[in-house]
Amino acid sequence: MERGTLLPGTLDLLILKAVSLGPLHGYAVLLRLQQITGGALAIEQGALYPALYRLEHQGLLEAKWGLSENNRRARFYTLTPAGRKRFREEAASWSTLVSVMAAALDTGKNEV
Amino acid sequence: MFARMRSFARSVFRRSVMERDMADELSFHVDARAAALEASGVPPEEARRRARVEFGATESYKDECREARGLRLLDDLRADLRYAVRTLARTPAFAAMAIVSLALGIGANTVVFSVVNALVLKPLPIEQPERVFFVQAGPGHPTTSFPNYRDLRDRSVSFDGLVGYRISPINLETGGAPVRTWGYLATGNYFDVLGVKPALGRFFHQADDVHAGEAPYAVLSFECWTGRFGGDRAVIGRTVRLNRTPFTIIGVAPQGFRGTEIFFRPDLWVPMMMEPQIEVGNPWLDNRNTGNTWMLGRLKPGISVGAAEGDLNAIAAQLGRDYPQINDGLRLKLSRPGLIGDTLGGPVRAFTIGILVLAGLVLLAACANLASVLAARGADRQRELAVRISIGASRGRIVRQLLTETLLLASVGGAAGCALAFVAARGLTAWHAPIDVPIQFDIPVDLRVLLFACATSAFAGVLFGLAPARQAAKTNPNGALKESDGPQAVGRGWPVRDVVVAVQVALCVVLVSACALSLRGLQQALTMSLGLDPQGVTIVGFDLGLAGYSKEAGAQFQRRVLDAVKQLPGVQSAAYSNSMPLSIDQSTNVIYPDDRPMLKASEVYTAHVYEVSPGFFQTLGIRREVGRDIDWHDGAGSPRVAVVNRAFAQKIMRTRDPLGRHFAWSWRVAEPTEIIGVVEDGKYESLTETAKPVVFEPILQRYNATTTVEVKSALPSEQVVAAVRQAIAALDPSLPLYQAGTVEQMLGFALFPSQAAAVALTAFGILALVLAATGIHGLVAYSVSRRKREIGIRIAIGASAGNVLRVVLGRIALLLGIGAAAGLLLAAAAGQLLSSIVYQASPRDPVVLGAVAATIVAVGALASWAPARRSLRTQPIEALRTE
Repeated sequence: MERGTLLPGTLDLLILKAVSLGPLHGYAVLLRLQQITGGALAIEQGALYPALYRLEHQGLLEAKWGLSENNRRARFYTLTPAGRKRFREEAASWSTLVSVMAAALDTGKNEV
Repeated sequence: MFARMRSFARSVFRRSVMERDMADELSFHVDARAAALEASGVPPEEARRRARVEFGATESYKDECREARGLRLLDDLRADLRYAVRTLARTPAFAAMAIVSLALGIGANTVVFSVVNALVLKPLPIEQPERVFFVQAGPGHPTTSFPNYRDLRDRSVSFDGLVGYRISPINLETGGAPVRTWGYLATGNYFDVLGVKPALGRFFHQADDVHAGEAPYAVLSFECWTGRFGGDRAVIGRTVRLNRTPFTIIGVAPQGFRGTEIFFRPDLWVPMMMEPQIEVGNPWLDNRNTGNTWMLGRLKPGISVGAAEGDLNAIAAQLGRDYPQINDGLRLKLSRPGLIGDTLGGPVRAFTIGILVLAGLVLLAACANLASVLAARGADRQRELAVRISIGASRGRIVRQLLTETLLLASVGGAAGCALAFVAARGLTAWHAPIDVPIQFDIPVDLRVLLFACATSAFAGVLFGLAPARQAAKTNPNGALKESDGPQAVGRGWPVRDVVVAVQVALCVVLVSACALSLRGLQQALTMSLGLDPQGVTIVGFDLGLAGYSKEAGAQFQRRVLDAVKQLPGVQSAAYSNSMPLSIDQSTNVIYPDDRPMLKASEVYTAHVYEVSPGFFQTLGIRREVGRDIDWHDGAGSPRVAVVNRAFAQKIMRTRDPLGRHFAWSWRVAEPTEIIGVVEDGKYESLTETAKPVVFEPILQRYNATTTVEVKSALPSEQVVAAVRQAIAALDPSLPLYQAGTVEQMLGFALFPSQAAAVALTAFGILALVLAATGIHGLVAYSVSRRKREIGIRIAIGASAGNVLRVVLGRIALLLGIGAAAGLLLAAAAGQLLSSIVYQASPRDPVVLGAVAATIVAVGALASWAPARRSLRTQPIEALRTE
């Protein structure tokens, strides 16, 4: 499968999805993203951080210092209640968009 | 929203922590990635390198992270500020001019606003001040009688409490000689209705104030307690003598509570039932004829102003039916407390708001001035801006940077303006009325004033920064870089700065005319006929009632004082009376002329009344028109007689020659008074009034304990005052004197409003002239420097000095003409408003308007002189070489 470019706005949604599964530090978010997208998304790794900071600034994520698997100080992100709500809304509207787009593009010649 | 503010605040205030955390977090990522690569068999060095490459440009991501936290703006702001400070430091003359003119403009506005704040906006320091109202009987009639007050208080259902009160002079004796102070007589519910709590001791209450003479309690004001009693806590329970009667001090009012009149500084409060002891010889608590009581009420919750007025007027109508001669047509209304209802409130509000508008115009002129200079500078900076735009600065960013510069100027100017305002407000607060009037203002620079100054500064900064910023935003980098500074920039269309100069000249003309009109009005007020000649007349006042004299002893004492004063060297004539025209102490009475003896209260005539001794008219230079003067035979045993003024004869007696006719006072209908003489009309209460009917009665026939001695002398007033003091002290050493000074000083009180207006307007006028001069100078200097090359060429090909001047000044003269014409039109319109504030200010005084136009032309010529001369000295070679 070809490595797709990221649609605008999708990175934030994917991060919310990744973090919704449990508290993660930045590097783990990256790994989780690669895992859940099957490696289909390619972003420069550093680009993750401005997005994380933005989501934290908006109050959707909460960050706390903790210890990583190999006992190093790392910053762990969790979803705030507002973030959870936003995630559900965005996910729902994304699904709607996808199904509408799919239906539209599947329309055959004799269905018009 | 809240989360964002918290996150932003955390980032700003714990910036270093945030920076360190960010660095830690990013390096953790790279380390973790390197470790993962290493685990998959990549050599350590290579693993680190690949981890860094995969991560990307660390610093630029850090920047993006900062921006995500809203920090980018802050960093930009810091850079902009540094840049602005550097730019301004390069042109210190401009920076100084800008800051000074802004400081003056903002300072003037802040001072005026602090006065408006103190007099109009700031609520009284009482509980729920918005529910407390002054009750008055129509415009100009703030008082009612005490029996009327009692009926209104007992019958009305709209108030939680209705207070009756009055201010009164009180001689305070604490052991030594008595001191003349001022205080409130107030009903027992006063402090409870206002919701004020004592700083020390207790206040008097309703239950204390029931029977006349039974509540000899005094409450001190905080200033009186600290000033006259040294802040001694043992003062509670102490006995002092007020007007010779012993009173017990029961409490001290809190600091900042100065009663309910904002211009008044009372020393003490005394229960209303002690009125007969305080106003010795003039009891009026049971007299429905004497309207001496002010009323304040606190509305019950849920009662509207309209409902309360309806309630009061139903009672007033009943009082009118019960006492038609006194109360017929009585209508009551509520107004804001603090300025004796509309009596002072109306003019004070109109005046201060008028001045605030003028101050706003001055600030606009200052802004216009700066805008024009900045626009000129902006044109010079086009090339710099063009370079910055072409190397990638966004236009928004450049506009923001230019606005930072102007806002920096505005805030420095604003801070200086605040300092000016602070000094001025302290001066105004320290001001005392020059004579015996208990007037003192408290004008604080409080939070509201500071907020106003900040808002004004920000407004000014944006206002004068907007034009250059807009110009910068329109900069076309290609055009600006290609164009050389050439004559093509001048003379095409109407650039913003030209319009600004014209507007400024117009504003200046308005302000200078307002100033000139009010000065001329004041001058006319000073020279108009007062109906008396104040030249060389000195007055000294004392109150025998407060000093405990009986009627007989008082009358004798007055006569002895007059005899002693007449013996003093240099005295040409002397007299005494209870009061005199244009002093603050005026009384009026209801009159029935002999041909219409019984009239309802709504139809009656009232006249000012003075009780005077023989020699009064001669001493004050009041001309007698017909009849005879009052003499020493018009005493207690002889028929009641009086001298009236012309207005009385014409308006009340309806004749030019009323000699031998009679009139009666409403309080003494059985004993009519014969008119024996008529004197000229004068001014009695204010300089703007139309002629009012006045009666002068012999003081020998109607004793009054309040005494003013008038002395006409060729000697200087201070000498006369000292000699009179000595003469009175020889007769009674413990009698406190007040109001010692010249009649001209006393007139200062009547002239005070127009003097205040003239001072304020003169300051504004001068400020506006200075601003206009610098504005015009700046424009001419700028256009000369821009057109140096053109002028050089013109001179080189043989232009005469006249030609050159025409080129340089032609446009300026045009702008000046347009601005001045517009300004004169505006001034003529504004004069209408001004004539209501300043006495005798005619809105279309040709002399004044002509003088203003001439002044503006002179200022314009003066301001253009130096740069124009420079243009004449232009050396063609040098000018052509500059490119």
